[in-house]
Amino acid sequence: MSSPIMGRVVATEKKPNTAHEFHFWTSLDSPVGIGTIVRVDGERPVNGQLPRIYGIVVEGFSYTDLLSPIHDVLGHDGAPETAAQAATLRAEIRLYTAHVLRQIPDEPLQPVPMGTVALASDEDVAVALRMDTYLKAGTNTGIPCGLYRAGAMEAPIYLDAEFLMGPEAAHLNISGVSGLATKTSAVEWLLSSIFTHFPENKGSVAAVCFNVKGPDLLFLDKPGTLDDADHAIYDKLGVPAKPFERVRYFAPYTAQGFSINTLRSNEALSHNLSPLTWGLNEVMQFAEVLLNRDDVDAKADAFIDFLQERVINREFRDPVLSSPHRVRSFGELEQFFRDLLRGMEDRSSGEHWRTHHVATIRKVRNRLSNISTRCAGLVTDEGAVSDLPFGSFEDRTVYVVDVASVEEDAQDLIFARVVSKLREHLERRDLGVSHVIVFVDELNKYAPADGPDTYVRKMLLDISERGRYLGLVLFSAQQFRSQVHRRVPGNSGTSLYGRMDMDELATPGYAVLSPATRTKLATLEKGQLMVRHPHFAQPIFVRFPRPAVMRGRDGAEQFPPATDLAIDVAVMRSLRQLDSAVSLDWVKRTIAGHEEADVLRARNETLRTKPANVKSFFESRFRKIVPTEPVAVPVAVPIRALKGDDPYGF
Amino acid sequence: MTSSDTSFDLVRRRLWAALRDTGPVIASRPLEIQPRGMLDAPSIRAADVIEDTQMRAHAVSGPLEPRFDAFLDGSQLTLVARWQGVIPIVFGTVSAAIRQRRERRLSTWGAPLVRRALYAPMSQLDRDVARVLNEMGVAVVDTLERREPDSGHPFALQELAYQAVLADRERVETELAVRWCERERGVLYLDGGISGSATVARAANVVGVIKSHQTLYAEGDALAVVSALTTGQRSSVVRIESSRRTSVASWYLRVADAAGRDPFWGLVRVEVALDDDRSALGRRADDVSRWILAERLPLALPDPRWDKMAYGIRDAEEYLRAVQ
Repeated sequence: MSSPIMGRVVATEKKPNTAHEFHFWTSLDSPVGIGTIVRVDGERPVNGQLPRIYGIVVEGFSYTDLLSPIHDVLGHDGAPETAAQAATLRAEIRLYTAHVLRQIPDEPLQPVPMGTVALASDEDVAVALRMDTYLKAGTNTGIPCGLYRAGAMEAPIYLDAEFLMGPEAAHLNISGVSGLATKTSAVEWLLSSIFTHFPENKGSVAAVCFNVKGPDLLFLDKPGTLDDADHAIYDKLGVPAKPFERVRYFAPYTAQGFSINTLRSNEALSHNLSPLTWGLNEVMQFAEVLLNRDDVDAKADAFIDFLQERVINREFRDPVLSSPHRVRSFGELEQFFRDLLRGMEDRSSGEHWRTHHVATIRKVRNRLSNISTRCAGLVTDEGAVSDLPFGSFEDRTVYVVDVASVEEDAQDLIFARVVSKLREHLERRDLGVSHVIVFVDELNKYAPADGPDTYVRKMLLDISERGRYLGLVLFSAQQFRSQVHRRVPGNSGTSLYGRMDMDELATPGYAVLSPATRTKLATLEKGQLMVRHPHFAQPIFVRFPRPAVMRGRDGAEQFPPATDLAIDVAVMRSLRQLDSAVSLDWVKRTIAGHEEADVLRARNETLRTKPANVKSFFESRFRKIVPTEPVAVPVAVPIRALKGDDPYGF
Repeated sequence: MTSSDTSFDLVRRRLWAALRDTGPVIASRPLEIQPRGMLDAPSIRAADVIEDTQMRAHAVSGPLEPRFDAFLDGSQLTLVARWQGVIPIVFGTVSAAIRQRRERRLSTWGAPLVRRALYAPMSQLDRDVARVLNEMGVAVVDTLERREPDSGHPFALQELAYQAVLADRERVETELAVRWCERERGVLYLDGGISGSATVARAANVVGVIKSHQTLYAEGDALAVVSALTTGQRSSVVRIESSRRTSVASWYLRVADAAGRDPFWGLVRVEVALDDDRSALGRRADDVSRWILAERLPLALPDPRWDKMAYGIRDAEEYLRAVQ
């Protein structure tokens, strides 16, 4: 359906049209605004074809026939209230500047000719944004990202899965001020859309989301509140307005080790919550993340390599040691160090052991032992491992790793190891799914534009530059794009922008946007985004619905986190995930008299093993306690009774 | 031939193509901005005072009420397209438009009238040149048909052409005003006099407002009264008669303070249809004066004649400049 004419292209010597920019005027009441997509119909054929040009409005001007504001002041005798008495309103113009989205025919590429201007229809929007190339029946790779609105028109906007999830381009970066929930909401909405529309022939897809602050991502499986307008957008874009069907949550234990360190600790939600704990083997691969490179010099590095190659996970013998050692946990590593250092002292073997100076050995011992302290709750001394299901990831499943309450070092370690494992498995094609979206918020913290070149930043750069070939897709978010290493957003094929801070918009990265577009970005409503995508010649504005999942704040109110639990309650809750018959009394009886560390070890082993008979397995993890027998207390008999009360009366 | 096919440049090029004996006129300034000597000489004409016994000032009281529904203005552009020896061949464009006011916004009423023609003293041109002009596909006006030149001076011939264009402009203005009178009941503000057409001059819904005072209808004491009018004052109503025109009622109205300026600053002359009821003339003059004074906002700035010009007329001029 053709839209009514609402403007005319205009060009002057001072404001000429070019192949990439043109101007047009409209009536005063036209629905055109910044971000409106328009269609120009040329009036003279080029090579036998009437040219058709699509553009997006980037700037608007309004002025009257006055040459100087002083004329208006004079006209009203300096009294603005008299303006209402004017018999006639001055001639006024609405003049707009638009950037060309597409010209048809593509060749010859000419300046935009004079012609009529109309609002773009749904079909026009598809052509203007080149969506027609990937929305063809049978080869449709469109992922709905929102609705473009202008006047009474609403056109769905689709991203190309080939350019969002790879291999052509990939990754998505989203910027916006904090507090509006735009970034998180947009990602939740997009994940829903991807899970619904990701083409079958492109394989399977899962998402790993790092919850870095508050309860933002902790209630993705619970329904949220939507209004009619939201439902209308869901319907129009063909995405069911439902929470995610399959979500699994992972979080380390608290430092105490009793309960899982997450705001999603309400007992009613424990069914899909799993602990995230690693032992020595898991951590040593990524020790670099935790060790300060300025502190760990080449000699310490060499000794760590020696430990990894010769000591850890194999039987190690040495004349200095009192006995062979097989190091599989931080606890066993500590025993090894203790034995080694004592042996060196006892044997007076000098200050070197196998070319390593004793000071270096002590330093490495200190730094490595420190890891389990710094990452308490995540890293266990006894080597218990509870991990993401690498190798058995499921299609259309969200895996949330809650690191919000974890120390910064532990966050880095979790982040580095999870992403590295994802990459390893995707390279081997044995992850369980063919595509994984990794969502990382607060990118300016993990990949800052300046500061030290950390392991995490290097890894993020690596994903953003090479991940698309593996199916490893990075969805990243930050408040200030200018403070993020430019190669991360630079490699993102798709960029979303929520409401932006004016200071941020004043940075050079936004110089390509017109002043009006920047102003619009600074005043965007919640639920509005500016989208840049490889197929779109210019950024466009879309609306997206509220995600159909419970907001973090609502979830935290509806499912208040459990308060600090006693060890028996914590164990009961953990074991009830495996066997609902586990009672608090039984747990109390079972763990009575045992050390806390033994109780936690038994619980962790039970959770890891998932035995058929939970109770008996849990009980079998404890050493038998020999019951104490009552001892008869002998009655004291005085040697001789004294007469009277005279102690000297013999 | 469409209007775009009769643009000045196209006609000039065609003339040159047809008459290659001399080069084309490279640059031409509109005759409207060229000095034309004393051809528009100031004059004073007698007029009978019909409201009072003698000319006096009347204060226009009461609320200012914008009652005009539309504004009519005409425009002309006169350019020499070619010098055939010492004989100017002039290309003239005349136009007129009515800008109708609705909801305080102005838009064009009906279609504007735009006419283009070549003006030349045909009998003084070579027969071949005259034939070429007649075959140009644009109207040709013989400037000697209505008047004789004052002399054989080329500029006198040029002035003849200019006056012919001016007459054609008045003709299209009158034509459009007549159309308005035939179809509309709203009040029309006409830039200029209304006496050129009997239909317009007798219409109760047309008001002519004249900004130029080359011809004055007051002298002696009466002129002193007129020049001393203060803002919001009008003169007594006079009857303006002419042998070739329809009689109309007229008065002077001061619409802008002339303190420190010439006596005609902010002074307009108003023309309306004569009314047999003389007692009603004064009331009508007061009413119409209030309507005109109400048009002071917004000012017609940046037009240099803003002291006398209504904004609706400026708007019509801008419109004609865009379309002619």
